[in-house]
Amino acid sequence: MNHSHSNSKYISNFNSWAEQKRFVNFTDEDAALLQKLHPFAVDYADVFVEKLYEHLQKFPDTKRFLGDEKMLMRLKLAQKAYFMDLTSGDYGEGYFKSRIKVGIAHQRIGLPPRIYMSTYCYYMQLMIPQIYSNPTFDVETANGIFSALHKIINLDQELAISAYIHATDEVISRQTEEILEMSTPVIQIWEGVVAAPIIGMLDSGRTQQFMERLLETIVQTNSPVALIDITGVPQIDTATAQHLIDTINAVKLLGSQVIITGVRPVIAQTLVHLGIDLSGIITRPTMALGLKVALDKLSIKVVDVSKE
Amino acid sequence: MDGENSLSVIKLKNILLVTVPDDPGDDIIHELQTKVLHAIEKYQSKGLILDISSVNILDSFFARTISETTQMVALMGGKTVIAGMQPSVAITATELGLHLGKAISTLDVDRALDIFTDNFKLV
Repeated sequence: MNHSHSNSKYISNFNSWAEQKRFVNFTDEDAALLQKLHPFAVDYADVFVEKLYEHLQKFPDTKRFLGDEKMLMRLKLAQKAYFMDLTSGDYGEGYFKSRIKVGIAHQRIGLPPRIYMSTYCYYMQLMIPQIYSNPTFDVETANGIFSALHKIINLDQELAISAYIHATDEVISRQTEEILEMSTPVIQIWEGVVAAPIIGMLDSGRTQQFMERLLETIVQTNSPVALIDITGVPQIDTATAQHLIDTINAVKLLGSQVIITGVRPVIAQTLVHLGIDLSGIITRPTMALGLKVALDKLSIKVVDVSKE
Repeated sequence: MDGENSLSVIKLKNILLVTVPDDPGDDIIHELQTKVLHAIEKYQSKGLILDISSVNILDSFFARTISETTQMVALMGGKTVIAGMQPSVAITATELGLHLGKAISTLDVDRALDIFTDNFKLV
């Protein structure tokens, strides 16, 4: 019953779930009411699962998640276990963890939350007659069971959806990191010349990372010239300019020189209007021109042999 | 027993080369300045190369001493070149706003020597 700590990274914990239970007013009484339904749920489980999957198979959108016969069998077994868990009366930590696990599993296979939520709707449609047509329950008990079932399903949904969102957030933050790395490559383009095209805005977090990589590469390749290309920088503000100047100063301390390339008209206008002084720094409109300056500095001459 | 732990100022033709140790204390930094200036007077050197490639931490005192020494060396007719600063040191120095004054930096000692032999345009 008790699952491993594999989901320990999940934002919500068991304590906050207890709070959530209080919020939806899920009491011990509700647990007891659900337990009353349990023997009937056990009897009804096989029929329920068959009906549910029959319904799911009617729609191509849901059918594609059901897989082959073997997979379908496994899903049905898991569904049956969950169906019986719902009325077990035990909604402790084991229950909590298995709900989160289900949420993460659904996110991983790409099942849209829409389908997850709607399946509950069909679930209720199957269950309501089971509650109200049961001769053992008077109306008050039936109402109580209905309400308790509604609450526990709401709690389940919240857990699974939060786990979904958390899993998606993790994917996003990992991708953001990757994009950050990819967006500031530092490459050696000639012996003694490295180039670093900046794509996007240069904020302080990114500057730090960019500066480190640029400096490391300059030292590794023993390059006296570094071209920083800002063609891909949409707009420049005082903060971005300051980050750029800091980077240039750090490069200078190493004993290398920066040439800023890709200074477009709009960037040139902004720099002057903002009063940012780059007069001590060599700037060029294109990287090609910047490379020419770099080669010149290194006393390297490139000749067109066809014209000789 | 002084001299045991101290710096050596190496004369290479008309240039002086000083390798700054790993974690130079304030006294070593102070000694560096005095020794260098006396050596310049003695050998009439036209330049000084400070190899700081093994320095991991650059504090404000060290930075100021480099800056001042550069000015003093200039007054005595010489040029100062800082060689081989580590990236992490450069980043910290930039963050702290430390300046090395008029000292020129180069990637390594080879390139520093190039500056004095005029093989290198990048100054």
